[in-house]
Amino acid sequence: MEKADDIMAMCLHAGQLMLRYGSETFRIEDTMRRMGRAAGMEQVNTFVTTTAIFLSFKSPVDQRDHIQMLRIEERYQDLSKVTSVNQLSREYVSGLLTSREVKKQLKEIEEAPMNYPVWFIYLASGIGGGAFSYLIGSSVMDMLPAALGGLVTAIALVRYQMRLKVKFFSEFLASFTGALLAMLMVQMGLVMNTNQVIIGTIIPLVPGVPLTNAVRDLMSGDLVAGVARGAEAAVSSMSIAGGVAVALTIFFV
Amino acid sequence: MAMFALELGLCFVATIAFAIIFNIPLRLVWWGGFIGVGTWAIYSLMPVLGLSLVFAAAVAAFFASFVSQWFARFMKVPVTTFSLPGIIPLIPGSRAYETMLAFVQERYLYGLEQGVETVLQAIAIAAGLVFAFSVFSVGKGVGQRYETHR
Repeated sequence: MEKADDIMAMCLHAGQLMLRYGSETFRIEDTMRRMGRAAGMEQVNTFVTTTAIFLSFKSPVDQRDHIQMLRIEERYQDLSKVTSVNQLSREYVSGLLTSREVKKQLKEIEEAPMNYPVWFIYLASGIGGGAFSYLIGSSVMDMLPAALGGLVTAIALVRYQMRLKVKFFSEFLASFTGALLAMLMVQMGLVMNTNQVIIGTIIPLVPGVPLTNAVRDLMSGDLVAGVARGAEAAVSSMSIAGGVAVALTIFFV
Repeated sequence: MAMFALELGLCFVATIAFAIIFNIPLRLVWWGGFIGVGTWAIYSLMPVLGLSLVFAAAVAAFFASFVSQWFARFMKVPVTTFSLPGIIPLIPGSRAYETMLAFVQERYLYGLEQGVETVLQAIAIAAGLVFAFSVFSVGKGVGQRYETHR
């Protein structure tokens, strides 16, 4: 039987990675509970909110309660890391890996670079913006300005995020930059369908991870986390809409 | 017809691009693309049959979430990997833009009208997700309201 502190550290690390990279609350709690039980701990209890993790269990070796809390400050969207941790916990629970190997692999996952290089994500934002804009406006000519806008918005978001601490403000500025560029292209007469180009420009900013997680958290009974994520998604959408509204005001009034 | 085929193709490309924006592993990206295409087909064909856009959004979101749950169970990965790109084509971007434009130009009544429709469509997407999630968790939920099993 391993020491309780080691098991605690392993479970918390797995939970920390899942929460940081955008998993839903239910999955984090479930993963930590299963890992704790598979390690032989009793009375495993977890509580996860959007910004913190609590884990407690009773060790059968020393018959004492262990409880720890972990504050999560940075949150990203990287679902491939969530998938890796999920796979790792499955292998641990079914007995394929020892806790030492799990710890090593968790460290590897944490220190690994992003699944895609950042230029590839910029490119995907451009292509996604262009292709999505066709679904809205059905004008083939406007796909190119929309793609350019999506590319610039994604680059702007990453650049602003490096310097600004407030997530919502960098989203506001990025959508403002993108919408300004789109409106400039409209003014130069390159665009037939303004609507389509603006949507294609700001669509890479959509807070998809908090939105879907909010719905799933609320439905699986994690009310605190669900409401918090819903608020995050709402404020994100508002800041994106605000950025576009300011750009529109400059040109239309 | 050719227009519709082009739409579906572009929808596939857009969904995959969004899967990459959300950093989903490359081996799973394609499945999300197929779900996105199915979602868009439902969402754009139902209004042709005379049903409302909001209802179409709900059914399409239900489809996306339901198929995602199957795929996730089959491949043993988190559901979000598939459902997140799957519902991207449903985002009511055009209406949201109309809402904002109307408010900027001080046409408040029209803005409210468009805003209500945007919100309704967002709620419909959430409802579709919730229904599929509930269908899959029959018998696994938590206790509620009456403790009948004592």
